[in-house]
Amino acid sequence: MSKNSVPNTQNKSVISRLGGQKFIVLLVVVGLIIFFSAVSPDFRKYSTAMSILDYSYYIALMAIGVTFPLITGGVDLSIGTGLICYSLTGGFLIVQKGWPVWAGMLMALLLSIVIGLLNGVLVSIMNLPPFLATLCTCMITRGLGSIFSNRLGISWPTSGTPGSWFRNIFKITVNGTKIPLGFLWVLLLVAVMAFVLNHTKIGRYTIAIGSNKEATILSGINVKFYHIMAYVISGLFAGLAAIAYSAVFSTVQPGTGAGFELEAIGGAIIGGVSASGGVGSVGGSLIGVFVICLLKTGLPYIGLQANWQQIITGLVLIGAVLVDIMKKKKEKI
Amino acid sequence: MKKKVLTTLLCVSLAATLLAGCGGKSDTPASADTAPATEDAAPATEDAAPATDASVATGGDYKFEIIVKSYQSSYWQAAVTGVNQKAEELGVTVNCTGPNAESDIADQVNMLNNAINNQPNGIGLAACDQEACLDSLQTAMDKGIPVVCFDSGIPSAPEGSVYATIATDNYAAGATAAENLYPALKDKIASATAPVRIGEVNQEATSESITSRGLGFIDKIIELAKADGKAVAVIGNEYYVNNCSEKGDEASADIIIEVAVPAQTTVELCATEASVILNKADTIGMFGSNQVAAEGILTANENLDVLGTDPATSILAAGFDAGSVIKGAITSGKMFGAVTQSPLAMGQTTVEVLTKIANGESVSDVPTQGYWYDSTNMKDASIAPNLYD
Repeated sequence: MSKNSVPNTQNKSVISRLGGQKFIVLLVVVGLIIFFSAVSPDFRKYSTAMSILDYSYYIALMAIGVTFPLITGGVDLSIGTGLICYSLTGGFLIVQKGWPVWAGMLMALLLSIVIGLLNGVLVSIMNLPPFLATLCTCMITRGLGSIFSNRLGISWPTSGTPGSWFRNIFKITVNGTKIPLGFLWVLLLVAVMAFVLNHTKIGRYTIAIGSNKEATILSGINVKFYHIMAYVISGLFAGLAAIAYSAVFSTVQPGTGAGFELEAIGGAIIGGVSASGGVGSVGGSLIGVFVICLLKTGLPYIGLQANWQQIITGLVLIGAVLVDIMKKKKEKI
Repeated sequence: MKKKVLTTLLCVSLAATLLAGCGGKSDTPASADTAPATEDAAPATEDAAPATDASVATGGDYKFEIIVKSYQSSYWQAAVTGVNQKAEELGVTVNCTGPNAESDIADQVNMLNNAINNQPNGIGLAACDQEACLDSLQTAMDKGIPVVCFDSGIPSAPEGSVYATIATDNYAAGATAAENLYPALKDKIASATAPVRIGEVNQEATSESITSRGLGFIDKIIELAKADGKAVAVIGNEYYVNNCSEKGDEASADIIIEVAVPAQTTVELCATEASVILNKADTIGMFGSNQVAAEGILTANENLDVLGTDPATSILAAGFDAGSVIKGAITSGKMFGAVTQSPLAMGQTTVEVLTKIANGESVSDVPTQGYWYDSTNMKDASIAPNLYD
């Protein structure tokens, strides 16, 4: 998919090493599938694969978006609670106010862009540390979501009711077989955003900001604008993730969502996005997300109590960050 | 660079702490959950409230103030309907108020103070916050105004200020689900040549409401199965295995109850846990002990298509609480039935207890009932008002 790019260290061995990491992560994904399939016959079923895909869309979409702030050397912690907030807002307008579904979706996306913009302004213009800025918007979106929904769970139109067409965006049934359409959209968006990251100004400057912000400013680039754009992209994809979440799951509960962002950020870092910025690829983030999703789904199938999933995911993440640190060290030498 | 790595790691860990702080909250949205529930399968018996004794019906010109947690949700609207119904029946006057949202704690305290100033014969209170009302309760007691709590109790209330608390008996509510699910599975259990499995998904193993429901279901299944001469074993989450009436021996059991608890209280993780059990060939029944768990079972079924209402060909699932998703699944035959809490009966009981107090009778805490509902009785006058969205 996307090329990994390190503008300041155009050294071939680094690039090949990074490609190597993406490849290793892909091997991990394949290894996990083989392992879980071998241990649990139920894991081999088509329905299990469908469930893994269904439950991966919203994390994958968040991961595509959050890759941009991560590459600038920042982070976006507001995407998890933001997702729930946008979903509650859209759902509230559709269910309580009688808006058409497309209008509710549009409002969810608009709100996500506004929150992304707010993050960008706080980080780029007000110079707040990204961690703090997005932690604040994380709290704000959680509060907003509860206010919009009056603290009640909201269900977007369920299958079979008028307005449930949007659920078919992610899954259709043909002759009794379920087709995971959502995965195609995710792949398409990965391709588009990989192009944006590697072949457009927004993407190139995002990488430049993460690699060496001072040099980027000195070269006359409007860093503030491109820095804001990274957060807007992250916000927008949290909005898209909100739609995916609403389509796959039935009821959106206010007060939830904290923790979703960690799975997306964790996936991106496992997939090769540098924890210190400047390096990363959208395709890598997607593969990383599947490591997390496979662990989440697979571990219950082999009879492990659910808490082990979090421990193991944490360990995998430590491994990924260590690889990144080692890479940086070698680069310096 | 190292600094940045450190910062990022710190971010992740701090955010994780934040997450831990928010964990387990998904039971709170709709105070629905913290609320009431239990009754045996007889929803038709109108008087879910402690029987309407004739002695109570001497309301006369009593005036009561009723304060709900919020005034907008259908759950609370059902409670207010119950209050008004019983007030009309007993011939008493009630004045219902409540803040816009359950988080408007200060508003509710103001309302309580105003209610006290109105010098009513009694106050019915569903407190938004367990601490915020303590001073007001003291004032009410000083002025000799009896207070009855409903939906949620106030454990630290000044002694003597709260005359009775009307809230759900969650253990019995869980048992209600078992009482209705078991008879439908009975033939299949009787004719089974190998052990059969009944799954239970609980969103956590810490809160009183969820664990009581979960254990109520397990213990009732054990009791009913034993009466039929079947041995039961409970496996899975340790809390439930160790706290049920008898965990049994998996090797010799006729019925295996498998209890799953996800790592976090999200629909998606509940769904994954439910998928694991629904995938097993010997599974015949499922129970989800709150809205999130029940919807998790339904979400898992989206890809599995194993749920239905015919025990011969499908797995029968029982849920808990209402909401449009569960109601829709029951109407369409995906879910066998569910237990709903009874805001309507809670409202009725509150007025009844207040009237009793005003009449000088002694009162005690009233556990309210949960109702079993399925496609056959959803529209009944005694059930429909309790099926909030």
